[in-house]
Amino acid sequence: MQYKILKKNKYQDFVKGLIEDYNFIGPTKKDKSVHDFVPLNSIEELDTNYLKTTIPPAKKILFPPNEKLIEYEIGDEIKVKPVIESSETVLFGINAWDINGMNFLDKFFSKDFVDENYWDKRDKLTVIGMDTEPTENNFALSMDTEYATDGFDLYLHDLGDRYFVRVNTPKGNELVEKYVDFDDASENDFKDFDKYMDDYRAQFSNKVNIKSFYDNFEMIYNDEEFWKKIAKNCFSCGSCNLVCPTCFCFNVKDDLKLDLKTGEKTREWDSCMIPEYGLVAGGHNFRPNKENRLKQRYRCKLKTYFDKFGQYACVGCGRCIEACLAKINIAEDINSVKKEVNV
Amino acid sequence: MTIEAKEKEKDSIYKPFIATIKGIKELSSTEKQFDIQIDDKETREAFNFKPGQFVELTVFGLGEAPFSIPSSPNNKDYFELCIRNVGNVSGALHKMKEGDKVGIRGPFGKGHFPYEEMKDNNVVIVAGGLGMAPVRSLIKYVLENRDDYKRVIIIYGSINPDYLLYKDELEEWQKRDDVEVRLTVDEPCEGWQGEVGVCTNLIPGIDCPVDESYVVVCGPPVMYKFVIKELEKKCFKPEKVFLSLERRMECGVGKCNHCHIGDKMTCVDGPVFSLWEIRNLKEAI
Ligand SMILES: Cc1cc2nc3c(=O)[nH]c(=O)nc-3n(C[C@H](O)[C@H](O)[C@H](O)COP(=O)(O)OP(=O)(O)OC[C@H]3O[C@@H](n4cnc5c(N)ncnc54)[C@H](O)[C@@H]3O)c2cc1C
Ligand code: SF4
Ligand code: SF4
Repeated sequence: MQYKILKKNKYQDFVKGLIEDYNFIGPTKKDKSVHDFVPLNSIEELDTNYLKTTIPPAKKILFPPNEKLIEYEIGDEIKVKPVIESSETVLFGINAWDINGMNFLDKFFSKDFVDENYWDKRDKLTVIGMDTEPTENNFALSMDTEYATDGFDLYLHDLGDRYFVRVNTPKGNELVEKYVDFDDASENDFKDFDKYMDDYRAQFSNKVNIKSFYDNFEMIYNDEEFWKKIAKNCFSCGSCNLVCPTCFCFNVKDDLKLDLKTGEKTREWDSCMIPEYGLVAGGHNFRPNKENRLKQRYRCKLKTYFDKFGQYACVGCGRCIEACLAKINIAEDINSVKKEVNV
Repeated sequence: MTIEAKEKEKDSIYKPFIATIKGIKELSSTEKQFDIQIDDKETREAFNFKPGQFVELTVFGLGEAPFSIPSSPNNKDYFELCIRNVGNVSGALHKMKEGDKVGIRGPFGKGHFPYEEMKDNNVVIVAGGLGMAPVRSLIKYVLENRDDYKRVIIIYGSINPDYLLYKDELEEWQKRDDVEVRLTVDEPCEGWQGEVGVCTNLIPGIDCPVDESYVVVCGPPVMYKFVIKELEKKCFKPEKVFLSLERRMECGVGKCNHCHIGDKMTCVDGPVFSLWEIRNLKEAI
């Protein structure tokens, strides 16, 4: 890691250079309250001061909602071809918890089998992070994801009159040397950065006791009344899965084109909260109840992958809380375990 | 970025290789056996599976489904599948003919039957219905290396005698004096010589010492709870009891997530698990 300073008056030229040279994806305002990450052609469209993005930026790029995996041709022989396509892309303005969400996906898509459809895009992605204001539902601080230690090339922290820049990779360093002059960070800059992080962390008001949830999960897992109570209002709509930066479930479908000679296999996002998720041929359903689906979702988010990777599959972004019409609140549910254990 | 991820060559884990249906045989009114030969010679030779593993089979234009491999791992030229006609992919397969092409990925499953570890032990097989498919590979292997194992006891139950799979082989095994075969059906027909009732009923009669015995269980989802209860009553060692589980799968390579049971994934951690691994996983049984 190297530490640099980017003066505010040089920021515009730096970004313009990137937009000029790369397929550049950044946040832009969609309506009053929501931003979206889309390919941008001018700096005027870029707005890094966002509060909410519904669809997580990294997941959208690396694991798109619909993705062709295989193409085939049926003739005298059957020819099968993998579809792995991507181009060099700069992802600009992603925040720390979403970078940490991507870090989770990096681990997941390398475990047991390497998923090249994911990794080919990931290898060609240059990630430039920036802090954003947490919403009142965001509990990233409790999940240790308000700060990213890895997974980015450059990270720009806004100290007011200048950016404190963390350079994490040689690829990031190339960009630092390419467009405008960056200065080395001085002792003073480090001191200001330290103070900046204190102030930034103080903005996270939503706190969860994740350790207690983790420690007591296996006990509470068997408490059917507890899960019935928290899943009572769930519509099984799956919105919580769609907006989550770490959800990775998918279905694969196989379609023959109208010529009946060519076809493709595509994957599309699925949701572990919908009833069909565990349904198999013959009508048996391995997870027919919504309380069982919710508890498996919480297990996946807050237990399984902490055991496997040392990282939770929840970064505390709060998106699922905001997306849920039934007002199911993962942060409150995490904390309710502590209450349950204490009675 | 992980180093392993970068070093792997760019080939897709979702790409099937092409194989040909070399033979088809009716096993019951709902199940057929398919002999599958991988077209490419090099791939065929590299295709080494262990009893309990499965493949993902594609019917192009329709989809893919996981199937256990019931044949012996010693048969290198082709492998067999035993497929029940229940849905899209399986239904389409039942309409296919010899010479037709399918796609194959695999073999998959880190969890297989521990046939090496089982040597010098008694082998008890408890199968229900289609559960015979995955355990048959193990039975074949054990019988091909008969001297390495002590007693071999096969308990097999089905709804009625027609639904018993591999009837010729069952007869053959019954004739051998080094295999003990106990068959049971829910609905006997005239002249039925075996037992009547569920296969769970036959577990109390198993008379081999538990610390020298491995038990292997495979059957429909409802069967496990009852079989395990009976095995536990007899004090079989949970680390020596192996169960082959089935869940919905969309990928077979630990990515689509549908086959999660608690913290385990059936496709990569299983599909064979020891009872010790899963007895506290509420959803498993
Ligand atoms: C490890 C494993 C081993 C299996 N071994 C055999 C076997 O040896 N013989 C056999 O006849 N069947 C076996 N099955 C079940 C077999 O995969 C289903 O019967 C088959 O998928 C039915 O799918 P379909 O496409 O015909 O039905 P559809 O109704 O069209 O199913 C659609 C899709 O849902 C999924 N699906 C549906 N049912 C199941 C199921 N029971 N298990 C897993 N996924 C399912 C599959 O992805 C399938 O393609 C096995 C399943 C697993 C998980
Ligand atoms: S928890 Fe909320 S968002 Fe998720 S499935 Fe239930 S109702 Fe839908
Ligand atoms: S589970 Fe909810 S809070 Fe956690 S990462 Fe997913 S969307 Fe964000």
